[in-house]
Amino acid sequence: MMTETTDLLFAWTAMPHDRVVITGAGIVCSLGNSLPSVWDAIISGSSGIRPVDGFDARGFDCSVAAQVRDLQQSLGVDPRETRIMKTHSSMLMKATRDAFFASGLDGAQIPRESIAFFAGMGMVDYSVDDLLPAVMKSLDGRGTIDYAAFYAEGYREIHPLWPLSMLNNISFCQVAIDLDIQGENTVLSPHADSGAQAVSEAMKSVEDGKCIAALAAGVSETITPFSLARGHLSGILNRSAGSAEDCVKPFDANRKGTVLGEGCGVVVIEKASTAEKRGIIPLAVITGYGSACEAEAHLPGPTVKALGASMKKALSRAEIGPSDIDLIISHGEGTPKGDGNEIEAIHEVFSQSPERVHVFSSKAAVGHLLAAAPLVDLVLGISILGYGIIPMTLNTRNPDPAIRFSLVTGEPRRCDIRRILINCQSTEGQAASLVIESTSR
Amino acid sequence: MLTSSSRRRVVITGYGMVTPLGKNTEDTFEKASQGKSGIDYLSRFDTSGLPCRIGGEVNDQWLEKEEDEKSLRLLAFSSRGLRLMAKATREAAGQAGLDHVVKRERIGCVLGFHGDNPSVEDLVLLHRYYDGKGWDSRGLLSLEGYSHLNFLRRKPDVGGAILSRLFRCAGPALSIASACAAGSQAIGESFRIIRDGRADVMIAGGCDSQLNFVGFVGFVLIKALAEKYSTPQKASRPFDRKRSGFVMSEGAGAVILEDLEHARSRGIPILGEVLGYGVSADAYRITDTHPKGLGAVLAMRGAIEDASLSSADIDYINAHGTSTAQNDPTETTAIKEVFGERAREIPVSSNKSMLGHTIGAAGAIEAILTLVGMNRSIILPTINYEFPDPKCDLDYVPNEARRKKHGRALSNSFGFGGQNACLCIGRYDDRDDGPSLCLDSHAP
Repeated sequence: MMTETTDLLFAWTAMPHDRVVITGAGIVCSLGNSLPSVWDAIISGSSGIRPVDGFDARGFDCSVAAQVRDLQQSLGVDPRETRIMKTHSSMLMKATRDAFFASGLDGAQIPRESIAFFAGMGMVDYSVDDLLPAVMKSLDGRGTIDYAAFYAEGYREIHPLWPLSMLNNISFCQVAIDLDIQGENTVLSPHADSGAQAVSEAMKSVEDGKCIAALAAGVSETITPFSLARGHLSGILNRSAGSAEDCVKPFDANRKGTVLGEGCGVVVIEKASTAEKRGIIPLAVITGYGSACEAEAHLPGPTVKALGASMKKALSRAEIGPSDIDLIISHGEGTPKGDGNEIEAIHEVFSQSPERVHVFSSKAAVGHLLAAAPLVDLVLGISILGYGIIPMTLNTRNPDPAIRFSLVTGEPRRCDIRRILINCQSTEGQAASLVIESTSR
Repeated sequence: MLTSSSRRRVVITGYGMVTPLGKNTEDTFEKASQGKSGIDYLSRFDTSGLPCRIGGEVNDQWLEKEEDEKSLRLLAFSSRGLRLMAKATREAAGQAGLDHVVKRERIGCVLGFHGDNPSVEDLVLLHRYYDGKGWDSRGLLSLEGYSHLNFLRRKPDVGGAILSRLFRCAGPALSIASACAAGSQAIGESFRIIRDGRADVMIAGGCDSQLNFVGFVGFVLIKALAEKYSTPQKASRPFDRKRSGFVMSEGAGAVILEDLEHARSRGIPILGEVLGYGVSADAYRITDTHPKGLGAVLAMRGAIEDASLSSADIDYINAHGTSTAQNDPTETTAIKEVFGERAREIPVSSNKSMLGHTIGAAGAIEAILTLVGMNRSIILPTINYEFPDPKCDLDYVPNEARRKKHGRALSNSFGFGGQNACLCIGRYDDRDDGPSLCLDSHAP
């Protein structure tokens, strides 16, 4: 085992321009719990957006969401562990396992401390149900709480492991334990760009030789009354009732807002030389990363300037120009302002010939996945490179007249795709972009 | 791979803290060097009936005097933890002359923070709109009493965003939520951001205030807190045989990290240097640390290697030392694994014996105390060390501070769930050829 490590270390130092590649991918979202099922659904034009399941959301102006289904049962995790696992934990577990096994890390001769793990985690909310029995038990006749009763006895109604279910890093640690991942790690919290930041951390860790392979994950929050309320307050949700499948219209002239979704994307990143040595065929090369932060004066979202700067930084790091990009997987969340800013920023960066570049948004199919959005789009991007097919942007029948790029709508488009730019943005004003490239030169 | 000579050196040009022991760094260090405890019975909420009734509260009088109107307005969006952080950061930023740095887009901010807990009052209010199955969302949304600010107070990233606004940072911003390792990881990540040239100056640190009913009860339920103590001041006793759990505290620690050349060019005094950062995961069990401290070993080795040093170069270890049955012997075992025969010669002490455990702030506060101790040739003690535990057999600097010249130290922070971070910190040496190499570490 030690010799293997030394050889791999030698490989890094010997090849200063060794490319960083993706060798495994996992995805879970409302369209399916594995990459093949998600890809099939997205190519066939399905949307995972439905009326909210699990609690009564009719009181909210936006009562639809793209939730994952039947996930926990399929994981085969000890029920004692699932007591503290909410949907976000199960998604992270499933997608990370898929990526890990797909890249053959389970059988690889890589010391476990040389496998790193970075994740952008959505908000971890507490569940009122967990605490309610304690409150109920402590009510006096008038329906107000008797603190003496609560402090003396009531709190014992709370499950001893309850605190774990709301610690932000616990689901991450559960997965590290499940797969025995011991290397560098960080949990980045809930901005919608934190998944992209996890990818950049993973790239840096691999490039600097701090690890041999790194996992980068993005996982959304679990849909709860709290997450819906937060979504409403952030001002990005579509508040006008309509049919569930039809309510997100990225880049449409009549776009009215977005819808929250649940999902998780995970990739395994390593040097090309490591992959070659392990006999693993890379899925894609990851070449660029950029981010910038400048919030609109009245939130939500970043300014055109920040969106443009993030794309330019990613391109410059990848040492390519706008004309080298064939497809943009846009943030395209379906809000009037957010999409408007992104259209303007794309036009500015791709000013030479915007009509050459294809643009696709997954939000109408899988919802806005917040911290998971960039990772889910990254995993879809890998499939697009592999199959040479761009899925269509759903529901967009009257594209915004300002658009000068080639928005893919109506049906999937088959074409040769070599390089993809992936955009994401947070309501707080962060913009981040990634560049991936096909492995064939 | 970059060699150490081509890397940017990252120095510390400011630090600040507010702890149960003191209103700033000077005050905290002074009392800690006298071996005083900041732990007492909790006063801010009723603890009757709970098996643990003590903690380390920050004195409110230390906060209110210095807060201006603008920061109070912004802080309304967040929690007590962030108020403490704003105070600590003001101290650090003042020392580093942060206001005078012109390129604000080259100043970043990484904060270890977990957001606020729900309050019992919120739950009482919420339960009226919930019948055990469904919510009366309209009723809830029309409700005046449940502030929408609660949603922001719970979000970990809001803390970092507000801090960036308060101190006008327009550079890279990250929010880290890795429990007890958060403060340390925030400094480690900031260190890398500067080393990689992604920023010139970083505000880094952590803050936490879980001393409210819901936060506290959480830790009571997982049986992590000290329940056997004669007096509150005696409850936190790291490495002592009669330890029974940790004592929860609140606090904040902030450092200003800076590229060496940047600091030199503006002529600001340099207080110390971050030499290396190591981080790992136990991947063992959610509620238990690895029995042999495997994750801790990896983190310490990682920090030493990252600093291009060997274990022989380390003069002092600021331990995680929580005073729990599990952590202290495990950390001892890990130190022996990393340092071998030398382990018994290296002073190891735990600031938590005096400050309690400030969770997300601990890594930052302890890193600063480590540095101040180095600059003054004082090693802070582990107080309440009375009954040796055969499983903990290192030099824990018992009960009294020690005067000793030391130049390089490790500061450990291990997070619940198994995330481990270690910082390697050094006294600043202005030689051009890299981190200081020679200090008389064996002087008495």
